[in-house]
Amino acid sequence: MAQEEPTALERFINGILPENPVYRQLLGMCPTLAVTNGMKPAMTMVAATAFVLICANVMTSAIRGLLKPHLRILVFTMTIAAFVTIADRLLAAYMYDMSKQLGPYVPLIIVNCIIIARCEVCASKQSVRVAFGDAVGQSIGFGLGLATIATVREILGSGTWLGLHVLPASWPGWGIMVLPPGAFLTLGLLLGIAEWLSRRRGRAST
Amino acid sequence: MEILTSLILIFVGAALINNFVLHYFVGICPFLGVSRRVDTAFGMGCAVTFVISISALLNWTVTYFVLRPGAPLPAWVWRSVGGDPGTQVDLSVLSYIIYIFVIASSVQFVEMYVRKFFPPLYRSFGVFLPLITTNCAILFGSLEILKHLQDPTRLWGLHQALALALGGGIGFTLAISLMAGIREELDMCDVPGPLKGAGVALIVAGIMAMAFMGFVGVDKGVQSAVSALLR
Amino acid sequence: MLSTVALILAAGVLAVLAVGMGFVLGWANRAFHVRTDPKVEQILAALPGANCGGCGFVGCAEYAAAVATGEADVSLCGPGGAGAAQGLAGIMGVELEESLPYRAMVHCSAHTDERLQRAEYRGEPTCASANLVAGVQGCTYGCLGMGDCERSCKYGAIRVVDGLSTVDYTKCVGCKACERTCPRNIITIVPFKAENMLVVACSNQDSAGDVRAVCAVGCLGCRACTKVAPDLISIEGALPVINYDNYDPTDDLIAKVLEKCPRKRLFFVGKPTEADLAAVAGEELPDEIQADFKTTVDETEWRG
Repeated sequence: MAQEEPTALERFINGILPENPVYRQLLGMCPTLAVTNGMKPAMTMVAATAFVLICANVMTSAIRGLLKPHLRILVFTMTIAAFVTIADRLLAAYMYDMSKQLGPYVPLIIVNCIIIARCEVCASKQSVRVAFGDAVGQSIGFGLGLATIATVREILGSGTWLGLHVLPASWPGWGIMVLPPGAFLTLGLLLGIAEWLSRRRGRAST
Repeated sequence: MEILTSLILIFVGAALINNFVLHYFVGICPFLGVSRRVDTAFGMGCAVTFVISISALLNWTVTYFVLRPGAPLPAWVWRSVGGDPGTQVDLSVLSYIIYIFVIASSVQFVEMYVRKFFPPLYRSFGVFLPLITTNCAILFGSLEILKHLQDPTRLWGLHQALALALGGGIGFTLAISLMAGIREELDMCDVPGPLKGAGVALIVAGIMAMAFMGFVGVDKGVQSAVSALLR
Repeated sequence: MLSTVALILAAGVLAVLAVGMGFVLGWANRAFHVRTDPKVEQILAALPGANCGGCGFVGCAEYAAAVATGEADVSLCGPGGAGAAQGLAGIMGVELEESLPYRAMVHCSAHTDERLQRAEYRGEPTCASANLVAGVQGCTYGCLGMGDCERSCKYGAIRVVDGLSTVDYTKCVGCKACERTCPRNIITIVPFKAENMLVVACSNQDSAGDVRAVCAVGCLGCRACTKVAPDLISIEGALPVINYDNYDPTDDLIAKVLEKCPRKRLFFVGKPTEADLAAVAGEELPDEIQADFKTTVDETEWRG
């Protein structure tokens, strides 16, 4: 049964909610938990990941004819490593404080499962346009995921959002939310909510 | 004796206080994926410890001699082409690419070696080895070592790098085995539908992370205990 | 000049590493080559890959390895059935003896209302737990109906219907999961020589009065069946046991045995025949018969 390969637009829309990398595919957990203690670091990480994902997808798609099957993961990884180095150096040059805050998590984009998974699933098999659409969609999905978690953690943890105070000064600030346990708990509960919502939608449609 | 104290501190720090999984959030994917049963979790932990130590060894060597600012090899090349000895050749921009390459190749090599010479070992954790190549924890170990090779006055030797790697690996094994034990028990409990699987596992991880936060300050105690012992 | 030297040095380091590791890995590939029997790969491909453990080995890979070394018989795979056995026989170059499909048989036929002396059980709703408690139902040999077998079946072939575990023979593949799970050991896996086989649908080894007290339909141990067909049916305790090695589907005695049983506990099980399907063709049957088996634990309010 030959199926139509998804078009660029389909892949783009898929990446935002139906195949959301954080809530549906459960990929890229490491940066999701690490940098979401504030909206600013989270959005910077999303931008960096988006840059690497788009470039790596496009490059992989461009060279997909040359990939030998048993070496392909290595080739993906090398490509991604090169682009991450570029992103890291750019960040260190133009946003030094943010780069210091993000620390080792920018180079860890190399082993971010999302990028390797997209290269494997989409870019190595489809054209540059489709790969581009897929990368943009997945990046938006990733950004959505990170934004939800960062919002919860930052508002509850420091009473700010994007650095602006949104809660009154009397808010004690739940320190635990900006520390590692808060990350795990927030993600766990939000995953539960996302699953519950999708089940309700599934039941409503049947 | 300071060396021994610093080694123990680094080891305990990496294993307990700044646990790779529960404090630094690296290695979450296998932490959630492989922690269903204690025996597979322990096998995964052993594999990670093994790979992280080998990659720390290789990456420390490459970084110390080639990549760090002021490394001997580039300095020698620079001098032999008649360059000004005052300026340093800094190849650290290659770090990430070389680290991941070394990790991937060494894992491949180790897998072949273990498969040939230790078949029972291969059967117990050999299948995890290819998965570990993209494990954040391995790369993170190397990145931590890189961090301590930047300042020429306080360079980490191979022993400290290995202490960090071993500590990190053992801390990972500890966390994943604990998680597996808890999840085996959770299987028999009545977890609400939407939270089943990853949701409740993450909540448990959060509580574990809170517990591990109790280790903050242990380094001071360890330091005074060890120095008292060695005096 | 610094940047040129740095560039050349960078390229040089990368090239040396790449070539070096390439050589090392190439050497290792040859030096550490593990000779695997290509047959194992072929056998693995011919097996369904369900990893059910019915063959007695831990997984399909273990079974494939055992077949390749000649240790294991080619026809042990339940889910694979005749197709897998033929495939394996072809790969190993052996003659395939006639292999029969293995299917499950439940040796109990009492539905909830037919079980007497039942108590209100408030424990964990599993057969394994209920089996440990005395007095859940009068019969200590028969089906408890809590669904351990249903949960263990990966093929949806055994269901608890009105308190009795019932096999769907269109789905059963003989993987033996239910046989292993049943704490009362009333499920056996038997080679089916015909589509419908005779089964002794009771496991109660007590006789007459004791059985009547605990079950409305259980076998009384009257031994009428064994008198009619002594080669086929033997008695253990007070319970008839069919010798399936001697079972011949074309034997007339079987129909006679059916007639003789006063409680009609000997009957045929298997895939529904044309006659059976025709008999219910006119009726409106529900698609699935779900047992509404709630214990009182489900309605308990937590007061903790």
